[in-house]
Amino acid sequence: MIEKGRISSLQLAIIMYPTIIATAILIVPAVTATSAGRDMWLSPLWGTVTGFLSIFLAIKLNQYYPDKSIVEYSSDIIGKFFGKLVGLGYLFFLFHISGVIIREYADFVVGLFIAQTPMPVVIAGMIAVAAFAVRAGVEVIARSSELFIPIVIFIIFFILVLLIPEMDFLKIQPLFDGGIWPSIKGSATIQAWYSEFFLITFFLPFLSDKKRAVKWNVICLILIAVSLSFTNLATYLLFGALTEELSYPLISATRYISVADFFENIESVVMALWVAGAYVKITAFYYTFVIGTAQWLKLPNYRPLVFPIGIILVISGLWAAQSFTEVKDSIGKVLPFYLPLFGTAIPFALLIIAALKKKIIAAHQSSEQA
Amino acid sequence: MRFLKRFLQKRQQKKQQRLEKQKNQQQQMLQQMAADIQLSTDINENIKNIQESFHQSSDILFRTFSIGSSQACIVYVSGLTNEDRIYENVLTPLMEATEEAHSLQELIEKKISVSEIKQVQTFHEVINDLAGGFQALLLEGHQSAIIIGLPKWEKRSIEEPTAEQVVRGPREGFTETIDDNISMLRRRIRSPRLTIQMKKSGAITNTAVVVAYINGVANDKLVTEVNSRLDRINIDGVIDSGYIEELIEDNPYSPFPQVLNTERPDVIAAYLLEGHVAVLVDGSPFVMIVPTTIYSLLQSSEDYYERYIIGTIIRWMRYLFVVIALLFPSLYVAILTFHQEMLPTTLILSIADSREMVPFPALIEALLMEMMFEILREAGIRLPKQVGQAVGIVGALIIGEAAVRAGIVSAPMVIVVAVTGISSFAIPRFNAGISIRMLRFPIIILAGSLGLLGIMLGVIAIVVHLCSLRSFGMPYLGPLAPLQLKDIKDVLMRAPRWKMDTRPHLTGGTDRERQASNQQPGPN
Repeated sequence: MIEKGRISSLQLAIIMYPTIIATAILIVPAVTATSAGRDMWLSPLWGTVTGFLSIFLAIKLNQYYPDKSIVEYSSDIIGKFFGKLVGLGYLFFLFHISGVIIREYADFVVGLFIAQTPMPVVIAGMIAVAAFAVRAGVEVIARSSELFIPIVIFIIFFILVLLIPEMDFLKIQPLFDGGIWPSIKGSATIQAWYSEFFLITFFLPFLSDKKRAVKWNVICLILIAVSLSFTNLATYLLFGALTEELSYPLISATRYISVADFFENIESVVMALWVAGAYVKITAFYYTFVIGTAQWLKLPNYRPLVFPIGIILVISGLWAAQSFTEVKDSIGKVLPFYLPLFGTAIPFALLIIAALKKKIIAAHQSSEQA
Repeated sequence: MRFLKRFLQKRQQKKQQRLEKQKNQQQQMLQQMAADIQLSTDINENIKNIQESFHQSSDILFRTFSIGSSQACIVYVSGLTNEDRIYENVLTPLMEATEEAHSLQELIEKKISVSEIKQVQTFHEVINDLAGGFQALLLEGHQSAIIIGLPKWEKRSIEEPTAEQVVRGPREGFTETIDDNISMLRRRIRSPRLTIQMKKSGAITNTAVVVAYINGVANDKLVTEVNSRLDRINIDGVIDSGYIEELIEDNPYSPFPQVLNTERPDVIAAYLLEGHVAVLVDGSPFVMIVPTTIYSLLQSSEDYYERYIIGTIIRWMRYLFVVIALLFPSLYVAILTFHQEMLPTTLILSIADSREMVPFPALIEALLMEMMFEILREAGIRLPKQVGQAVGIVGALIIGEAAVRAGIVSAPMVIVVAVTGISSFAIPRFNAGISIRMLRFPIIILAGSLGLLGIMLGVIAIVVHLCSLRSFGMPYLGPLAPLQLKDIKDVLMRAPRWKMDTRPHLTGGTDRERQASNQQPGPN
């Protein structure tokens, strides 16, 4: 196999948690507030439907083809030509979505903290670190995220707890003012993030304990939903209807934190620690892009691809959008359809064809026997 | 492309030629040895040959005497021999013997009262043993020699280890003599399961290298791995255990030590009980332990001798010291350069006030002072003790004070550098401290150019590197990444003795249980 390292299901879940939440936690509150308003805390829970579907599809397809990722088994399912076409589609998708993610990271850091630093430097710095990890393999990615995930969870928890004195708990009343429809509408953007769970299709062949993959991924998904729900709740309790006007509601919220006249203005620290989460997310996408490309080209080793693809990703990040407004716009309008297309729709079609094929072959064989 | 190919081919050819040449030389040497493989019956010829192969060295002594009427000669290196006992146990009984025509076996059995003794036939065995500190007894008319083991040389007595001192705990440290070191281990672990395997390393120095482990406790695979890595070594000389360390570690390009060194026999005994393997090298008081995790570099033996609550707190303090030693100056630079809003107003005002006269940006100031600190530290270590103190005083008081007064550096920067330096000295292992101190410089530069983001990118890079490191196949970040919940008891805390029921998962062999559980003490 192209990757020699093996990771456990728990480690996969630990990779996936920051992979979904790193960018979601910054942008989701503002985007959901637009359509869900007061009931935005419920939206992340509705969105999990897509997440469960993605996990189910990835694992089910992996059961049919245990050692292959979607780039490889698509050829087995729908023939060489169309399979390669689907594979290429996924590679372009990964190329583009990695660019969007890198851009989200760079926009956030440059826009808020180091305005005078040129964006290519910020992107290239992160890509260099990520390339280092991708080259080292899946085990190293898993281990480094094991060390960083407590930090990511800690900052979320820390911010939410320290904000309690500032919250106005009556703001979310009345509940379900306009029925549950607004909160479901709000979940449209969030489910785009959840469909990123389909990324596990690239990691599943490297699992040492596949039996527990379902359990840990579902736990991870629920944790993500709960974290996002609490973040949404906290930002709404703090800002109310103002939430949708803010670029990064959670960061704006941290400005309210003040403990003992010393813990003030800690948003730079939060940013620095958040970068650890962004690192895991970017590395996960980078890694799958590299692995997918190597599998598509049927290379025996993926390491020669790491640096060339890194350079491509820097450019992809610069190309992804003109400005942060454009990024946010596409998050609200394009990504809710774009991400689930690759995260659920295509895998769903592939799964149906694979299942039918299997049934037909089985029927054929039994008829031959009879 | 063709040029490149030809170039590579040529290189390959040259390499092969070189290898063949080496092989030829070795064969020639072997042939030479084979030529004089047998000892002669003529004792004078043997003496002459020995003299020649030692190139008439002046410290090779030949004492000829006669047993009855036949001639005999004892040869030894004067500095490596216990001469008193040679006279007492070898020369006197043999010279007093009157009967004729002894067989060698009879001499060994009846006359020479020495416990370490053997018979050899070949000439190069004799000279190798002579060089190794043994004595050779040659006899007229015999084609073999008796090798006697009465070595003695001047050695340092056992002292308290200077590099790792403890308040509570054993005070003896390893010395340069490997036999003494092994005896110190044997005295601590009185079990037949303690296995000691000796091998020679270094083509010229013939240094004894010992692999020690506890059978069943250490993983068999690990022991084979250590042995095979030691057997691969082919150098001319081994002067210190550092030579071996560099030749057996996993990643030679890493700044982090992947082998733990210690002067303390109690530390080695404790690690052996956890299933690690120790490598002792003759001539070095530092014994190596493999595999190593980064946490064992941050542990002191005293953590285990004091109360476990104290041990746990001190361990956490040390993790904090590591963060300070690595990041404090960079945080200072990043905050002053990019994120001034993070500091409370009064503090930033006082810092700004003291920096008013300073002509440099914070980055240059930090690099200057850190360099200064490293210079002083290095000078302080190498100088004689009396002068070293003077350097410390000149450096710390005079240069520091004068630089601040002259407005070249600001007082807060001096404080930052001092705190960083002290924290790095609080890391119990010198080699771990020094690698962390060196990594500080690139991070300061990152902090000066990208602020907190730069620091974070630097830290991520270091963490990724640490995650990819392995020490003898064991992940360097130990039970934390990848996570082993059962082993965390000795990393994130120092679990009480009555809770340490199992050996570490990664090093332990078949014998996983360490002690009976339910030993928590309390009133009955």
